[in-house]
Amino acid sequence: MPITILPPKSSRPIPSRRADPEDVPSDSDSDTSSQAGGADLDGDIPMITTANKSSPKYDSNTGIVTPGELITSDPQWMRGHGTYIPLGTKDITSSVAGTITRTNKLISVRPLRARYTPEVGDLVVGRIVEVQAKRWRVDVGSTQLASLPLSAINLPGGILRKRTETDELQIRTFFAEGDLLVAEVQQLFQDGGASLHTRSLKYGKLRNGVFVAVTGMGGGGGVVRSRRQVWTMDAANGAGQIDVVLGVNGYVWISKHVETPAEVENKTMGITNMEENVSATMYSSQNDPIDSDTMREIVRLRGVVTALVENSLRVDEDMVVRGYQEAVEMALLSSKGPEDVYLGGERGQQLAAALTGV
Amino acid sequence: MPLDTSTYSLGLLRVDGRRWNELRRIHAQIRTQAAADGSSYLEMGHTKVMCVVTGPTEPGPRRGGNVGSAGGAGAASGGQHKDAEVLVNIVIAGFSSVDRKRRGKGDKRTLEMQSTVANALAASLHIHLFPHSQITISLHVLSQDGSLLAALINAATLACVDAGIPMTDYVAACTAGSTSTYAANDESADPLLDLNHQEEQELPGLTVATLGETDRVAVLVCESRVQVSRLEGMLAVGVDGCKQVREILDRVVREKGRKMIQEGTVERGTGLNDMDVD
Amino acid sequence: MPREAEPSLNEREFVLKALQENTRLDGRELDQYRPLELTFGDQYGVADVTLGKTRVLAKASAEVTVPYTDRPLDGIFNIATELSPMTSPAFEVNRPTETEVLISRLLEKTVRRSGALDTESLCLVAGQKCWSIRVDVHVLSHDGNLIDAACFAVVAALRHFRKPDTSMEGGVLTVYTPAEREPVPLSWLHSPFCITWSFFGEEGEIALLDATWLEEQVRVGSCTISLNKHGEICQIAKLGGTPVEAVALLQCTNVALSRAKDFSAFLDRKLAEDAKRRDKGGLLAELSAENDR
Repeated sequence: MPITILPPKSSRPIPSRRADPEDVPSDSDSDTSSQAGGADLDGDIPMITTANKSSPKYDSNTGIVTPGELITSDPQWMRGHGTYIPLGTKDITSSVAGTITRTNKLISVRPLRARYTPEVGDLVVGRIVEVQAKRWRVDVGSTQLASLPLSAINLPGGILRKRTETDELQIRTFFAEGDLLVAEVQQLFQDGGASLHTRSLKYGKLRNGVFVAVTGMGGGGGVVRSRRQVWTMDAANGAGQIDVVLGVNGYVWISKHVETPAEVENKTMGITNMEENVSATMYSSQNDPIDSDTMREIVRLRGVVTALVENSLRVDEDMVVRGYQEAVEMALLSSKGPEDVYLGGERGQQLAAALTGV
Repeated sequence: MPLDTSTYSLGLLRVDGRRWNELRRIHAQIRTQAAADGSSYLEMGHTKVMCVVTGPTEPGPRRGGNVGSAGGAGAASGGQHKDAEVLVNIVIAGFSSVDRKRRGKGDKRTLEMQSTVANALAASLHIHLFPHSQITISLHVLSQDGSLLAALINAATLACVDAGIPMTDYVAACTAGSTSTYAANDESADPLLDLNHQEEQELPGLTVATLGETDRVAVLVCESRVQVSRLEGMLAVGVDGCKQVREILDRVVREKGRKMIQEGTVERGTGLNDMDVD
Repeated sequence: MPREAEPSLNEREFVLKALQENTRLDGRELDQYRPLELTFGDQYGVADVTLGKTRVLAKASAEVTVPYTDRPLDGIFNIATELSPMTSPAFEVNRPTETEVLISRLLEKTVRRSGALDTESLCLVAGQKCWSIRVDVHVLSHDGNLIDAACFAVVAALRHFRKPDTSMEGGVLTVYTPAEREPVPLSWLHSPFCITWSFFGEEGEIALLDATWLEEQVRVGSCTISLNKHGEICQIAKLGGTPVEAVALLQCTNVALSRAKDFSAFLDRKLAEDAKRRDKGGLLAELSAENDR
């Protein structure tokens, strides 16, 4: 009796080269749908199949491309980030695994996940890593440390003051190693580095709260660039107001809302006085007193953010605010009452389900 | 495929029941470590490897202190770090093989593998995009059953894809062997694909890594005596195996991407079909 | 650690442009070696190899020791590689650089693991006494292609080497001094040689042999193939670098085989010459045939 030996089974089907012809329907898919794209594109799509004889074809449902995959060989497109043109060809080829985006004639591939790449105007939360003579080096989760020149911060004693040597000598009194700050990307360097500035009352040293790092933009759940990244929200259970800063780089700061002197005095005083008064607290490394209710709600918000990330949901104002409300309600139902701030594991999943279900 | 399953002679099957051109089961996952920039877990049969990629980051005293000096291979071409530097660190767990053997940090075989993985990936990764930075690849070998170098290369490639580091193409690797021993000049020797530990000990074999779907060989390591005439057959089988491996790796990445899009973590891309000429 | 000075961009460009037009800076053909010279020392087992400006000295020595417990029937055979600061300030004493590790691994794989030396013949009393053969490789001057030169030196030194004769009588092991009995050569099975290809160009399409230091600095990849004259590959190492077409690699292997045969013939001739020179004293005429195996 002949014995039949079957190939080892894997958890997912082992792609075999012989089975490939069955994959062809996906090409015909893209063929038909690309008819609107004109004759050129029609010619392109079969090219993908000839170049990648055996790979799973470009999937128009998800729009995912992987490294080495031909995107188009039509010369009308320009290549952007995440793509390259192999030597001696005109084919735009993907260099990362991600989704194709196009801006007019520019084709780029957004990676599923990558380190943060700074862009001018981004609001970032960073941590001082190194103090140099005239600048700080700030970790913003990018490929390189960002730099914050002494000339790009608000010096105490008014915005219009000139930078002096005394300031250089006292550089550590403004920011020292390990300090957290919120800043804006001012300028990009050619090699991918960035320079920051804090020349606005919105920016500066961070106090009175807690730091959370989530993976950067572009996947795995993370902070996306949006209209509002900083907001003040009312907390439940008798706590005061809470500030949330979502850095585009995936660093998040949640803190007790403090009425800045600016806000207090804005009502009474002129603008020049305001500037002077800002300086008093701006670079303080002392936390204000925080009552335990506020502290608990800060922790709850932090739990919401980590739960969003763990369940790979995007982190933006809408999600965080809704997630927080949901979490408060969940806590009410819990046996421990509003004191229960735990949002890991199953409770996190429950929260995520409630948010995505809406 | 020339072999018919029903009539295939049992004598031609290999010790683990495979035919000459069959890979072992490859199971791979990416994004296994939430905190890492990129991570992967790969099994080729019973060879199990984990990989974590950190970077590109700025090499500083803060980060570089423990890893950089580990003798990993600096694959920086060009001047003082004009390109990103690829550092590889391989840890072979004491329990990974049958006999518990401690390998020190200075083990030459490990150092050689570190340097091979680093150089192979540095050639595919677009390191020129990240000047003055470093990409650290940490590999942990959990279990060894042959084809170790191939598994390390595959795991490192997957982790780099996960980390979103631009690269020319996947670097996929596998092993190939020949059924003849080095002395025998027998012409009927069959090439074999994907050697396990036992076959690696008994038969001549080589490790091949190719770039993407091309026939371009990035790594070719042969450590046993074999006739020159055997090389061509082994290389052909190996290169073909690499293409199969590449597909499996690609499928893992696509599967993950599809899932992320379904969950809504990543925005759907503009499909090619939406790219009409305005 | 002092770094090796890197060639400037223009220098790099110049070398590459010239190579694209099939011109090497020293006027050699792409597959041509620099003049290879081999001199043996007065002692047995010392080989001094020069390849252009690259110079490597290998010395073989033997002593009687206890064999490893897990291999009681085998002798001990070691190759020690030393790249001293004298070669280049980038090398430090007691801190093996990557180059050094790779060279010693390659030599190990080429000579030791391929079984060029019959280690079983080094056993004197099973489990108790055996010969320990050690080859020290010293790089005296580095101008590229260390591996090929070092490998040639090791093989030459070992084939030239004579270990003291011994005898076993009634459980008593006697090691004779050269004066008492003429030393005997090692039991040598085959002579492997390393041939290193260097690749240039965006896709590694230009391949050349015996790269100089400057060429090594600008190359994009390399592949070391070890072969003996019988057409057996002992080892191949293309450790990363720019990917090269598989077909090109096969061609490289074929060229390497013919080079290995040349090396083998060259070494045989040199050994024969040396034996003739030593034989002038006419002490033992039968030794002269020994090398021609």
